[in-house]
Amino acid sequence: MDVRFENVTKTFGHKAVVDGLSLAIGDGEFVVLLGPSGCGKTTSLRMLAGLEDATSGDIFIGEERVNDIPTQHRDIAMVFQSYALYPHMTVMDNIAYPLRVRKTEKDEIKRRVSRVAEMLEIGPLLARRPRDLSGGERQRVALARAVVREPRVYLMDEPLSNLDARLRVQMRGELKRLQHELGTTALYVTHDQAEAMTLAHRVAVMRSGLLQQFDTPMNIYHRPANRFVAEFVGSPAMNFIEGRIDTSARLFRGEENVALQLSESQLERVRGQERVTLGIRPEHIQLAEAAREEDGWLQATVYVTEQMGNETFVFLRLGQEKLIARARADFRAEPETPLLIKFEMERADFFDAQSGEALR
Amino acid sequence: MKAHVIEHNKLRPHHHAGRRVSARWLRYAIIIAALLATLAPVYWMITISLKSEVDQFSVPPRWFLFSPTIAHYSDAFVERSFGQYLLTSMIVAVSSTLCAMVLGTLCAYALARLSLPRRLSTRLSLWILSTRMFPPIVTALPLFLMMRDMRLLNTRASLIIVYTAFNLPFVVWMMRGFFQEIPRDLEEAARVDGDSRLGALVRVVLPLVAPGLAATAIFCLIISWNELLFALILTQTDAAMTLPVGIAGRVTQYEIKWGVMSAAGVVAMTPILLFALAVQRYLVRGLSLGAVKG
Repeated sequence: MDVRFENVTKTFGHKAVVDGLSLAIGDGEFVVLLGPSGCGKTTSLRMLAGLEDATSGDIFIGEERVNDIPTQHRDIAMVFQSYALYPHMTVMDNIAYPLRVRKTEKDEIKRRVSRVAEMLEIGPLLARRPRDLSGGERQRVALARAVVREPRVYLMDEPLSNLDARLRVQMRGELKRLQHELGTTALYVTHDQAEAMTLAHRVAVMRSGLLQQFDTPMNIYHRPANRFVAEFVGSPAMNFIEGRIDTSARLFRGEENVALQLSESQLERVRGQERVTLGIRPEHIQLAEAAREEDGWLQATVYVTEQMGNETFVFLRLGQEKLIARARADFRAEPETPLLIKFEMERADFFDAQSGEALR
Repeated sequence: MKAHVIEHNKLRPHHHAGRRVSARWLRYAIIIAALLATLAPVYWMITISLKSEVDQFSVPPRWFLFSPTIAHYSDAFVERSFGQYLLTSMIVAVSSTLCAMVLGTLCAYALARLSLPRRLSTRLSLWILSTRMFPPIVTALPLFLMMRDMRLLNTRASLIIVYTAFNLPFVVWMMRGFFQEIPRDLEEAARVDGDSRLGALVRVVLPLVAPGLAATAIFCLIISWNELLFALILTQTDAAMTLPVGIAGRVTQYEIKWGVMSAAGVVAMTPILLFALAVQRYLVRGLSLGAVKG
C-alpha cells in the first residue's frame, strides 16, 4: 500500500520536531528515514503508526486518511528498537499475539506462526521466553511478530541498533531479503547511513525536522542536494574547501595557493556566486609522492594515516584545510611527509557557501 | 566439614577467620533477638487463648507447661457473636480492598501514562496523597454525620466506603510507581499489533505488574482488617461490628476478658497470615520490583 505524508508538522510546545514533511512512498517500496538523532525521523514514523498525533497536515495509507484512526485500526506492523517483546509470554505467544487479538482461528494461528518461525529460523525457540534469548534471537522474534500477518505497511524504528556489528550486518542482509520476498511497503528509521544505503529503494534524509533530500541511495551519494546530505552520507565524510570563483581565470581559489581549474560546465554551475564550497569525496583525491608532468597537483603534508586492512585513510593538511583521502591498502607514509594530491575535479560538488545548497 | 574449615584457615590468616566466625554469630544473635521481640507477644497471645484463667496469671508465668483448653474459643465463637464479627470483617476487608484496587489501579494507570498539560498528573498525584497527610480522626465526626444522614450507620456498606476511600491514595501511589516501571514500548507494541488501550492494559501491562498488585492488595487488606477507629465510630450493633471492635469491646469497666480476646485475636490473625504466605513470592518481588529489571 502506498503511504503519503502531506505537509505534516509536529510541534512539542513551540518547537517543530517535524516541519512540513511531504513524502510519497510507493506501494512495495522500502524507504529509509535517515538523519542524526533529534531530526524528527522517529516522530514521523510514530505519527504514521498513530502513536503520536500530527499537529497539522495529512497522513494517508492508500487512499485512506489515517490521522484520526487509532493505532490498532491502521493495520500496520512495527518493529521497535527495544524489540518490545512481551516478557511474560513465550516466543510462540508473542508471535501469535497480533493474530489472537484479531480472533484468528487456532489452526490458522498455528500454521502461520510455524511458517514464520521457519522463515526466520526460530522454530526451536518457540517455547522459550524472551529473557532466555540472545539479542539476535530477540530481534528475529520481533521481526516474526511483525510479519506473521500481512499488514499494509511495515514500520521499523532502528531495529538493528542494539545488535553487535557482525550480527547487524547479517540481519541487514536478511531484512533486505525478507522485504524482497514479502514485497510490502516499509518505512525504516535509522541514523546509520550504511543501513540506509544498503536497504533502501529510496532514502529520505532529515535534519532538524526538515526533509533534506528524498532520492535513491546512489543519487543521495553522488548528487547530494546540499552540504548536510553530502557530509552525512559517506564514510569517511566528504571533504569541504571554502573558496571563491575567479571567473576570468576559470579558477576555484581556496586560501593560500590552492587554485583549481574549472571546466566550462562547472563554471556554468557556479556562475554568479562569489563564495562557494567545494566538496570532494575521499576516493576522488589522488595521491603521489613525486611531481607529475600534468597540472593541478597540490602540495600537502600527511597528518596521520589509518590502516583499515583493505584500504588506508590518509589525513592530510592542505594549508589550513584538513582533508581525508582513500588510498590503497599498502599505502604507507609517516606524519609530516610531503605529498602531492590531485582532485578529480569532474567528480567535485559545489555548494552555496551561505545556504549550503548544491549548485547544479 | 572439619576438613573444609582447616583448608579454609590455611588459606587465610588465623585472626581473619576468627573475626569472620564471630561476625556470623553476631548476625544470628541479632536475627534471633528481632524474632523474639516480634514473635513473643504472638506466642503469649496464643498461649493465653489456650490457658484456663487461673493459669493466665500464675506467678511465675507458665511458659510451656499448662493444660490447654478451648473454652475461650467456644466462649468467643459459640456463646458470643465473634463468628458474626469475623464474617463482617471478611466482607468489609475483601470488598473495600477490591473496590480500592480496581479504582486505584485504573487511576494510577492514567496518571502514569497520560501526559496532561502543566504537569497536571504530578500535581494530581500529590493532591491525592495529601488526603493521607492529616490524622484520620479529623474526618471521624464529619464521616459519622454523613453516614447518619445517609442512614448508613451500623451497616457494612459504611465501612466499605470509608476503607475504600482511605486505601485509594495508597493504591494510586503504589500502582503508579509500578506502572512507571513498565516500558511504554510494550503497550505501544500491543496497540500496533491491533489491541485497544484497555486490551493492552489487561493482556500486557497487568500481568507484568501482578507482583505489585499482590503487594498492594495485601497492604490494603491488612489495613482494612485491623482498622479500629472508624469501625468503632460507625458501627455499634453486633450485625455490623468488625472483629477489632468486638475484641476491644471485651475490655469493660468490670472485667477484661483476656482469654476471649486472645482467642479472637488468634482467629483474626490467621486469614491474613495464610494470604500472606500464599502470595509471599509476589510480595517479595513486588516490594523490590524497581530493583530488578525484568
